[in-house]
Amino acid sequence: MTDTTPDQMGGAPAAATDETKPFAEFADKSGGYFAETFLSIQKAKLPATHVNWMAAIAGFPWAAIRANKMLFWIGFLIDLVAAVYLMQVWKFSRAAEQAVIDNKDFLVERFENWTTSSLWAAVIIFILGRVIFGWLADRLYFRQYNTWRVDHSKPSGWDMKRLVWATLIVAMIAPLMLYRASQFPPEERTCIKQARSIAAGEEVAFKDQFDCMIIGEFPTIVWLERRDTVTYPRDDNGDRFVRREAPREGLPPVNLNSYTAQLIDDGIGYLTAFYGFFFDGITTFLRSMLSAITAVFVGTPWIIAMGAIMAISYTMAGARITIFVAASLCYLALFGFWQTAMDTMSLVVAASIICIVFGLPLGIWVGKSKRGQAIITPILDIMQTIPSFVYLLPAVAFFSIGKPPGILATVIFAMPPMVRLTALGIRHVPENTKEAALAFGANPRQLLMKVELPQALPSIMAGVNQVVMMALSMVVVAALIGAGGMGFIVTEALANTRTGAGILAGIGIALLAMMIDRVVQKANTVKH
Amino acid sequence: MNDNREEGVVVTRNVWKIFGSRADEAMEAVRRDNLSKAEVLEQFGAVVGVKDVSISVGEGEIFCIMGLSGSGKSTLVRHINRLIEPTGGDILINGANVGQLNAEELRAMRADKIGMVFQNMALLPHRTVRDNVALSLELRNVDAYTRAQVADRVIELVSLQGYGDRLPSELSGGMQQRVGLARAMAADPDILLMDEPFSALDPLIRRVLQDEFLDLSKSMNKTTLFITHDLDEAIRMGNRIAIMKDGEIVQVGTPEDIVTKPADDYVADFVAGISKLKLLYAHTVMEPLEAYEQRKGPIPQAEAPVAEPDDDLDKLIALSVNQDHPVLIKSDGNVVGVVSKDAILHGVQGEA
Repeated sequence: MTDTTPDQMGGAPAAATDETKPFAEFADKSGGYFAETFLSIQKAKLPATHVNWMAAIAGFPWAAIRANKMLFWIGFLIDLVAAVYLMQVWKFSRAAEQAVIDNKDFLVERFENWTTSSLWAAVIIFILGRVIFGWLADRLYFRQYNTWRVDHSKPSGWDMKRLVWATLIVAMIAPLMLYRASQFPPEERTCIKQARSIAAGEEVAFKDQFDCMIIGEFPTIVWLERRDTVTYPRDDNGDRFVRREAPREGLPPVNLNSYTAQLIDDGIGYLTAFYGFFFDGITTFLRSMLSAITAVFVGTPWIIAMGAIMAISYTMAGARITIFVAASLCYLALFGFWQTAMDTMSLVVAASIICIVFGLPLGIWVGKSKRGQAIITPILDIMQTIPSFVYLLPAVAFFSIGKPPGILATVIFAMPPMVRLTALGIRHVPENTKEAALAFGANPRQLLMKVELPQALPSIMAGVNQVVMMALSMVVVAALIGAGGMGFIVTEALANTRTGAGILAGIGIALLAMMIDRVVQKANTVKH
Repeated sequence: MNDNREEGVVVTRNVWKIFGSRADEAMEAVRRDNLSKAEVLEQFGAVVGVKDVSISVGEGEIFCIMGLSGSGKSTLVRHINRLIEPTGGDILINGANVGQLNAEELRAMRADKIGMVFQNMALLPHRTVRDNVALSLELRNVDAYTRAQVADRVIELVSLQGYGDRLPSELSGGMQQRVGLARAMAADPDILLMDEPFSALDPLIRRVLQDEFLDLSKSMNKTTLFITHDLDEAIRMGNRIAIMKDGEIVQVGTPEDIVTKPADDYVADFVAGISKLKLLYAHTVMEPLEAYEQRKGPIPQAEAPVAEPDDDLDKLIALSVNQDHPVLIKSDGNVVGVVSKDAILHGVQGEA
């Protein structure tokens, strides 16, 4: 095939040979074929349907010999998946036979269906996968060529010795995978029983032990003695004390999860029993703060509140947004959400105020200090990634149900963007303006107040906007622990499958969010 | 400490700056073993920014520090108001050691004594021109009325009257740098540090601002350290020029010294492209009358053009054009030398 290339090039055979020489050198075996293919790839003339059939038939060993790791893993994966399906065919057909013996007709039908679909999957994945492999082969091989061009120490050519590595990898992965596909994994309970019988000194078949160790759930390695049951009753004077009761004799040990969960419960119980005044203090503070805010939102007659909201939106964001605000308020009023919406607003405002009051200084610290960043960033990550339902639980444990724990859960959920965006703003203040202020004798406080904060303001305001939005979404979830408001309608509708009511309340919440968002954002852009 | 006063307003004594986490170790090693820059980098992973710099700037002088990017000139100038702490050496301002000031004294010194102008202006974008100019006063808690008065006066000084209420973003680059200059002068400091103030401006504006600054500087008598990477600018602005390379000062001298007697090939390379017209003076290129007359015969003194010893090449050329006779150089009415056309041509080439 090398011979045909110069002819096709017409007048410049010498140049053509020069062009293809590195290709052939790289490919080693079948250099001519690859020279031609690579040349057409470089000229962007490779047909879209081009498939290296040789590679397609040979599969991943071809990639191994050619030392193309990417292609090797793709090819190996294709064949492995096909083989796994094939093993499942075997597994399900055996299960079907067993079901016939057990005379369970519904199982027979199910397993036979699965047998057929697995077989089809195996065949289709194998054939289609190999074609795709062949299609990818020359294209990926060309990329390998490009890296080899830059660095000749990168592998090239044709070397059978590479098959040794490939065989080792296959031998490490394939047998266990195929074995797993051919077996039904044991249930966790079976394995726990098995562990106990082994502990009791009974003989257990090697296969069963092996199955429990390898192909089911990760084996339970840590077994712990049960903790004492701890309660905190009151004595005759009404003071609480700790009462421990040893677990009943003969109860089996527990795993790490149960043990730790018990530990956390005990800790929370201890804190609430002996430091209840602290949590009660927070609750009281939140409650009084909230009632002050609620007095403004709910206590104002609707006609005055509506007028005030529209006036604020007009001065902050202009006429167009005020029209939208007016329409949204009309929706809330007409569908009977007015009081509930104002209730939700007071929750959001209370939570947002706390977020800003704590988030702003925290953000400044994170922005200015490396240590602050190192300490706070992982905490923020956790606050943002833990599902919001999870911290409803400790909120309830410490503060019982109602609005105050709802606000706290909301604060935890909504504070991270305030801290992050404040820190971002502070960090992005141009170094040169800070240097200039220092050069004119600014002290640290002046630097912060006159240079850093003003320049970080857009970012901080974006943070405030985020806080309000996230607080609104969390306030709805907090209805689950009795925070009330619009969220209560939604959760109630969910519990009683009253779809219509739920959708209407949902739209109300969305409008509430959009109102605040548009006004705050517009106010931001107008200022800057 | 009084003896320092004679040395100059701004004095640096053997100032070193080594960047890196092991800077102090590196400094000791350098003092002990006299390591080179490359060795310090290799052994300590530390970069030598300023290497043993001693300069002395006199009162009212414009002292230019010239060097390419990375030569350490900006680093050096930031030592003077201690935006950067030196690794070794002392900086004295009016004889007082800057390194021994506490935080409060340092702030007071920065606010009262030293003004700084930055290459990238570094104006505060959220403040009006007036508030930017008054920054140093505001940082010293001067009341708003006085601030506005002073700011308006300085704004007028840099010909920006009427722009006091604008934001920096509404101004062109040249105008922004005038604001930067005004801000530096608002506190009426004794010392001006100018860190490539005109580098980011286009050549025409740059010239205008250079001239304006020279005028201002003459009338206000400020001691100025002027950083530039442009030798033309250094020659235009500087009473003296220090040339920096790799953190070291290669040569210090008047513009004429630098151009006519470059200390090494590095400086010579720089100087090669510089026009000598304004830098060479008659007293440098002239020869004694007798020597000339011996060669070419006597000069009709009544017809020959006459110049002073301090006239530059430019003037000599203007006198020589359309003239058959050489230029006579007279001092107090006495002929002190002769400049032939050949001498002028050699001078233009830089072979004084």
